[in-house]
Amino acid sequence: MIVEGVYVFTAPPAVVFEALLDPGVIAKSMPGTKELVAVGPHEYRGKMMVGVGPVTAAEFDLRIVLTELTPPVSFLMSVDGTGRFGFTKGQARVSLEPDGTGTRMNYNADLQVGGKIAAVGQRLLDVVSRAMLRTGLAALGKEVEDRLRGVGGPA
Amino acid sequence: MKPASFAYHAPDVIEEVVALLEAHPFEAKALAGGQSLVPAMNFRLATPAILVDLNRLADLDTIGLAPDGTLRIGAMTRQRAVERSPLVATHAPLLHDAMPHIAHPQIRNRGTVGGSLAHADPSAELPAVMIALDAGVRCLSGSGSRWVPAREFFVGLFATALEPGELVVEIAIPPAASGTGWAFEEVARRHGDFALAGAAAVVEVGEGKICRAARVVLFGVGEGPVVVTQVTDTLAGRALDDRAILDAANRVAGEIDPPSDIHASSAYRRHLCRVLVHRTLARAAMRATVARS
Repeated sequence: MIVEGVYVFTAPPAVVFEALLDPGVIAKSMPGTKELVAVGPHEYRGKMMVGVGPVTAAEFDLRIVLTELTPPVSFLMSVDGTGRFGFTKGQARVSLEPDGTGTRMNYNADLQVGGKIAAVGQRLLDVVSRAMLRTGLAALGKEVEDRLRGVGGPA
Repeated sequence: MKPASFAYHAPDVIEEVVALLEAHPFEAKALAGGQSLVPAMNFRLATPAILVDLNRLADLDTIGLAPDGTLRIGAMTRQRAVERSPLVATHAPLLHDAMPHIAHPQIRNRGTVGGSLAHADPSAELPAVMIALDAGVRCLSGSGSRWVPAREFFVGLFATALEPGELVVEIAIPPAASGTGWAFEEVARRHGDFALAGAAAVVEVGEGKICRAARVVLFGVGEGPVVVTQVTDTLAGRALDDRAILDAANRVAGEIDPPSDIHASSAYRRHLCRVLVHRTLARAAMRATVARS
């Protein structure tokens, strides 16, 4: 499954890049994230509750590794998640470019989803992943804005 | 597979249902026709601790016409009953036309109107039809009942305006104004499958086929029913001729962002929507013109 899109932040690339690498920020933004901790340089482990509509929320174990880091331009994110309903595995390329005073983020992920959730919920995988990403990015955008205000100090 | 164990209640009176849902707003699930919930439980995707069965509530299995022409349908009315109801055929022909597209007869024999609305599947027909008909949804909880317009009832993927512990009890469809036309169409790989894309259209015309009001609602192409207002805004005040309808249909691609799956790509769904909007608007306009004359 390909998940791709564009999101525009009001903050400059340096601030966005730093936020994207901060597990605390990501944990606060992505819906259902219970914990996300660094276990090595640019390697994180976490737990996420995933549930939608009639599906009772279930816990996923996540492992995320960031490579090919080129601040503040791009990185490659490898994701590995397993839970009671199945697994997901894949890579996402994230690249940032200045957009006026803000940042334009392009993301392109190629994810494999398997197990029960893929067998039963195939028709909904795309719409569910988009909905989660949309909620997550909106929260992340707000988080980055708060951070920008903090960096700039009160006017 | 078999479901995980759960407590089961089947009250005879609605007060008891409301009390149970109120006491367990997050643990309890209301069981209507069970055509979505029970498979999800059997796959153990859904594991509610408590099921509150609504099937003994005879009061909710009703179709009636109020003196002001409003069609009122109880939440536990089977889809098959709606499909066969002469009242529905006469007073809400759009709903009548949509019914045979909902899954298969066996499923419609059990599936209910309220269940489909509360479940809010993004590919479901009934949510889109209820918005197109400007219907109202009555929701009941321990603190009383309230009417929610259908267009505000669906708030996202499998998400509705229902509060925890609240129940859909009734649907009200207002009478159509004179000069109203309708059309429903969907595309599925096989009849009875979830639609790849579908459209419900209602238009109201005045003198000289001038468009007074238009609503087009798509399904299967977003997180829920998608009301395409940019499409219908272009019709306001225009005569509903081929040119105007084509212009409107050509706008739909810019207003939706449909998902991709193994059955259809996003681009194909977008194409389907343009065709479906064109066809449904053309047919609705024709019916509206006939209704006026």
